Amino acid sequence: MDNLQKMLTWMPSLLKATEITLLLSILSTLTALFFSVFLALGKISKRKIISKLTGAYIFFFRGTPLLMQLFFIYYTLPQLLPAFNIKSRFFAAWLAFSLNIAAYLAEIIRAAIQSIDKGQFEAAKALGMSYSQTMRLIIIPQAYRRMIPPICNEFVMVLKDTSLVSIIAVVDLTYQTKMIASQRANSLVYIPAMLIYLVITAIFTFIFNKLEEKLSVYE
Amino acid sequence: MSMIKTENLCKSFHSLEVLKNVSITVEQGEVVCIVGPSGAGKSTFLRALNNLETINSGKIYIEDVLVEDRDNILTNKVKLPKAQRLAIMLELGMVFQRFNLFPHLTSLENIMIAQTQVRKRSEAQAREKALALLERVGLTDKADEYPNKMSGGQQQRLAIARALAMDPKVMLFDEPTSALDPELVGEVLDVMKDLAKDGITMVVVTHEMGFAKDVADRVIFMDDGMVLEDAPPSEFFTNPKNERLREFLRRILTKEQ
Ligand SMILES: Nc1ncnc2c1ncn2[C@@H]1O[C@H](COP(=O)(O)OP(=O)(O)OP(=O)(O)O)[C@@H](O)[C@H]1O
Ligand SMILES: [Mg+2]
Repeated sequence: MDNLQKMLTWMPSLLKATEITLLLSILSTLTALFFSVFLALGKISKRKIISKLTGAYIFFFRGTPLLMQLFFIYYTLPQLLPAFNIKSRFFAAWLAFSLNIAAYLAEIIRAAIQSIDKGQFEAAKALGMSYSQTMRLIIIPQAYRRMIPPICNEFVMVLKDTSLVSIIAVVDLTYQTKMIASQRANSLVYIPAMLIYLVITAIFTFIFNKLEEKLSVYE
Repeated sequence: MSMIKTENLCKSFHSLEVLKNVSITVEQGEVVCIVGPSGAGKSTFLRALNNLETINSGKIYIEDVLVEDRDNILTNKVKLPKAQRLAIMLELGMVFQRFNLFPHLTSLENIMIAQTQVRKRSEAQAREKALALLERVGLTDKADEYPNKMSGGQQQRLAIARALAMDPKVMLFDEPTSALDPELVGEVLDVMKDLAKDGITMVVVTHEMGFAKDVADRVIFMDDGMVLEDAPPSEFFTNPKNERLREFLRRILTKEQ
């Protein structure tokens, strides 16, 4: 009973930190989403330089640990280029996550675009449509339905991965939990913290499942 | 004036030679059927005309304008301004074996999209034209339907309407009825016969010998990447000169019986 009481008193500060977790997840994913469309189009571009460069970007961000990328942006970059001295820890986290997620989303989008039947490109070409018209009006509107499920999946991963930012002292849910644990010398705080993570992933999974159901109606 | 003329078209996929010096002329208003066994290169020829395949060598003229002149796959010696090349390509409409309709658009939108985007017609003009074409192919009641909800025959008629919307001077058909259930073939052939009657130039790759006999001005036999016979249907079917064509017709006729 006493323990439950304590957990409840920690709740407000945990929930406050949860806002940061949510904000970071949503902001980074949206930023990445915007950026990843260009990466995906670059990767499938017929111009070798463009596809090689975007390929290298994707390879780099998927091939190194996210935590290292975070350190790189927060510590290494300012040392190399003093102009890049990122004061805000939150901003550094946002940047690192956006760059990283974009690489994963780009692969999702590329796969969805390439899953569209080649006949669609040919029909559009035979009608005189340009490459960009074909992409914009024919291919992407069909591909986007196939992207939604894996993108939602990726977002749920991101929600949990953001706990890494506690290491550069962004006050997210994980960081706040650690603070309470050490200040109060009470490790019970991990229980409500994990429950909060569970509840938010459950809520988003529920919303995304509904969304997928709705989209599959038109297939 | 010839509508389409090719000189010595050659095309290989890696080491496989699919077209070997194909020279064909199609005059304005003619209906030319191309027949031949599977793998003969019929589709590849049609797709080369439309720039869906890049030829390795040869020349292509459309309405007497040289559009392709190659001795290797990489360089086309003809440099046309982009707008002129597009205008010439729009002279050719294409109908595919598997329809290739846009599944996320309704019938009407399928016919309108290239009109507004490529021909730069207003929404109202495009809609009016689309409705007229739907009527022409007998799909007025399907205007707001999505292609996946329609039968194969209806889909192919829609695909024909979509191609016609660009006002092509030549229609290219690549086995337009091969993906259809037998009972749906007739309705598509009827639409094509109607087009032929209206005098539009047509190049039709087909296995429908009846259509070739009744409608074609000339029938071309392709085998192994070569044109082996090119004659009016009366001669083509009753007095074929090429030995392989005789063999081909014998096989087809026994199969049809
Ligand atoms: N993209 C490609 N890559 C490699 N080989 C190809 C490609 N397209 C066609 N071929 C080959 O070229 C040859 C001719 O193909 P094509 O489709 O032109 O024949 P076709 O006369 O249309 O036959 P069908 O009656 O079966 O449609 C075939 O052997 C085919 O396997
Ligand atoms: Mg074919």
